[in-house]
Amino acid sequence: MHLDVYGDTLCALVTATAMASSGHHVVLRSPGGGRFAEAVQAGLSLYREPGLERLLQEQLAEGRLRWGALDEAPDADVRAIFLAFEPEHEPQARDVLVHLASHVAPGLVVINQSAFPVGTTEELQMLFPTGTVVCLPEFLQEGAAVQSFVRPARLLLGCDNAEAEVLVREVFRPFNRLSDHFLVMRPREAEFSKLAITGMLATRVSFMNDMANLADTLNVDIEQVRKGVGSDPRIGEAYLYPGCGFGGPGLSRDVLSLADTLQSQGISSELLAQVMAINERQKEVMFRKLWAHYGRDLNGKVIAIWGAAFKPGSGRIDNAPILRLLEALWAQGAVARVHDPEALPALAARYGEREDLVLCQQPYRAVEGADALMLVTEWKAYWSPDFARLQQLMRAPVLLDGRNIYDPAFVKASGFAYYGVGRQI
Amino acid sequence: MKWNDLKAHADDLAQRHLAELFQDDAQRFQRLHRKVGPLLLDLSKQRLNGDTLDRLTALADASDLRGWIDRMFAGEPINCTENRAAMHWALRAPEDSSVATPAVLAAVHGELARMARIVDKLHAGQWRGFTGEVITDVVNIGVGGSDLGPLMVSRALEDFAAPTPQGLQVHFVSSMDGSQVAHLLRQLRPQTTLFIISSKSFTTVDTLYNAETARTWMQRALGEDEAVVRCHFLAVSSAQEKVAAWGIAEENRLQLWDWVGGRYSLWSAIGLPAALRIGMDRFRELLAGAHFMDEHFRTAAWQDNLPVLMALVGVWNTNLLNIHGHAILPYDGRLKYLPSYLEQLEMESNGKSVTRDGDPVTTRTCPILWGDVGPNAQHAFYQLLHQGTEPVTCDFIAPALRYHEDVHTDAARELVRQHELALANCLAQSRLLALGEAALPEGEQMPFYKRYRGNQPSTTLMMDELTPYSLGAMLAAYEHKVFAQAVMWQINPFDQWGVEMGKKIATDTLAALRDGEAVSMDASTEGLLAFIRKPNT
Repeated sequence: MHLDVYGDTLCALVTATAMASSGHHVVLRSPGGGRFAEAVQAGLSLYREPGLERLLQEQLAEGRLRWGALDEAPDADVRAIFLAFEPEHEPQARDVLVHLASHVAPGLVVINQSAFPVGTTEELQMLFPTGTVVCLPEFLQEGAAVQSFVRPARLLLGCDNAEAEVLVREVFRPFNRLSDHFLVMRPREAEFSKLAITGMLATRVSFMNDMANLADTLNVDIEQVRKGVGSDPRIGEAYLYPGCGFGGPGLSRDVLSLADTLQSQGISSELLAQVMAINERQKEVMFRKLWAHYGRDLNGKVIAIWGAAFKPGSGRIDNAPILRLLEALWAQGAVARVHDPEALPALAARYGEREDLVLCQQPYRAVEGADALMLVTEWKAYWSPDFARLQQLMRAPVLLDGRNIYDPAFVKASGFAYYGVGRQI
Repeated sequence: MKWNDLKAHADDLAQRHLAELFQDDAQRFQRLHRKVGPLLLDLSKQRLNGDTLDRLTALADASDLRGWIDRMFAGEPINCTENRAAMHWALRAPEDSSVATPAVLAAVHGELARMARIVDKLHAGQWRGFTGEVITDVVNIGVGGSDLGPLMVSRALEDFAAPTPQGLQVHFVSSMDGSQVAHLLRQLRPQTTLFIISSKSFTTVDTLYNAETARTWMQRALGEDEAVVRCHFLAVSSAQEKVAAWGIAEENRLQLWDWVGGRYSLWSAIGLPAALRIGMDRFRELLAGAHFMDEHFRTAAWQDNLPVLMALVGVWNTNLLNIHGHAILPYDGRLKYLPSYLEQLEMESNGKSVTRDGDPVTTRTCPILWGDVGPNAQHAFYQLLHQGTEPVTCDFIAPALRYHEDVHTDAARELVRQHELALANCLAQSRLLALGEAALPEGEQMPFYKRYRGNQPSTTLMMDELTPYSLGAMLAAYEHKVFAQAVMWQINPFDQWGVEMGKKIATDTLAALRDGEAVSMDASTEGLLAFIRKPNT
């Protein structure tokens, strides 16, 4: 089938390449001349995702995928069009629909994957009377984006047109074999479900962070509590890890989007507002422990940070805890030495050259002369450090474990002062 | 002196009703208003004419006003009883100006830079409490000049509040009896609260007691670690060694100098709470507005000199027309605290009865000032203004424009209509006070109890709009008005010995109250002490 994918998001790139890999002919459309457009044509992925760049190059070479300009009309044989824009590019999506309405044959199906406010898909439908607009929220897991697209846990389809549903099922047939992953509902219900799922996950994490802070004051080890809570089948084990806050373009963006949706209706979700407030506070939990450790004076201290990406496997730092940490440290006159396998370019782009930010290509380079080491993103390479070497390189053996990945007793036995999130020794 | 000449002129004018003066001269407003920078001063509703102003400026000359202005701006010790200069004007002089000495300017701008660092850190949400949490609430503990100025400016410029990530709030605590501080501490969290102890002398008991209550509250929650005070207390004072003894960390001390009087100090680090509300850029605009007025006062001819004209009219009303009540009536709720601020500025400065030479004065000095937001006062004390037996002069104060700032977009139209309503009331009240029944349609015969005699003089002071700059200019105009009046009354406006003795006697009384000792006092005090000790017997 011939498909067009509009947008310059990770979702757009994954959708286009994965669809092409299953035999569809795909044109990926984004604003001409942009960084994204140039990268795609050169076979480069701006998103560091396992397998994505290879897949892109393969499909370009096979000739099933090509780049096209946003304002060009689709080929006559295109049957379905994906919209995968950033939430703030909603006006762009509207322009695309208006343009399509006068340039394509009737019967085309538009599949909106973008995280627009609830009700947008129906509004887009009004702009596009000759075809059908359906909604299929994306559930990509950053760090495993391709894998989560080709093996979806579910496909929440918001669609109230039977013919369109048949076409969407045909488009996704290669990824929907083992069992039927489609769950069909009205478009606004699909949009809201997506937001509610994210809101629920965020709530679990913030709840556990709240518990971890209580645990700290009550001399309770949150790790034992986490296992106990997760053992209840009504609750389950996922998303119960306390830590130094969640970030990323997806999680916090969607929670915010849900909060905005509710607010513009004149009602607001007190719970979600608290969830976000707890998370923002939690991003500074390592800072607070460090602040107390050093007698409320960090002037001139050198702080090593392992991990900048908002999660392992990603190079993105959107809303990542490190941003708040860096700004807090700098405001107190401390110097940060940061290592991350993927996200250093993003940090450099955001902050530029500054004396109190040292980007290190190797983890052990970062800890040289440091007064403390903060673990912020739990990349696998950080899980088993050479503690003797750390001791040797650091000015003071202080380890702040923002993801609770170390064994407090072992770290302490290795001669370190250890601080976790709700961990007791 | 020129008093006798003025007296004869006043006797002439006293026979004439304001309504008559307006009727006789169609150009009266043209003649008797002045525009200076963002301000418009309308004196046409005062019981005087152009001739009066000429005679009054002669009084200014005879009082050597020029010489006194020069002495003030030269930094001479014109505060003679304390042997100090009065250089509040230097607090708002630009860094490259030549009005003050380089040493003074360096000190002033050094302190402004320290303020800016504190403001920026708090505004960035990076001032950390003892637990590492972000400070969300700042409480200013001060009284008198360390309270009224920053409080008044913070409220007046609330539309210019600087946005902060944590939604920083600024609170004020002044009352000696602890009622404000008790109320506030119930609502705040110690972990996220920062106190500014603001006291020029750092001996003011009201402030020190409140500060002690705050420190105890803080330490009860966070412990006795020295970092608790370091993270949660700032101080502004000219007594740095006392500040150090109280335990304030060096980087948290801001200073002012003995050449600034408390009621003239909002332009210094005492203004920190206001700067926290509006941001340092806006605070510097406030200073720029005041500096503009300083230059105007220093250089303009008497007839065009706003502060001098305000002073002359005040002298005219007090000494020639024998009016001893003066009401401050802002028609803008944001100026709610302006009356209290001016009460202190004028009455603490010029409530004196001894000349610079140590002799009893021969003229009356400062009138009794009071006031309130005009539209509210209309439902309170305006009855006395319109139909009472006391002559009273009024200052009507209002901005012409309001509610066109971005913050008001949602309800702007309705709010603009409310502002129009307030302005209409402002003009109507001053008109009715001046003209009396002449302001009403002709031929209406009223019973006595419905009659308006009019002839109550007033000044209307308008701003194009209420901004940091225009507010700075207006406040400086009042400061210089007070100084110019003091010159004509031959008194020192920069001391306040009348408030010292009460503090001292209170100390003895406190001892009597606490220890229950039988001290010999007057019968009334002894009787009241007895009641306080055993109220139910």
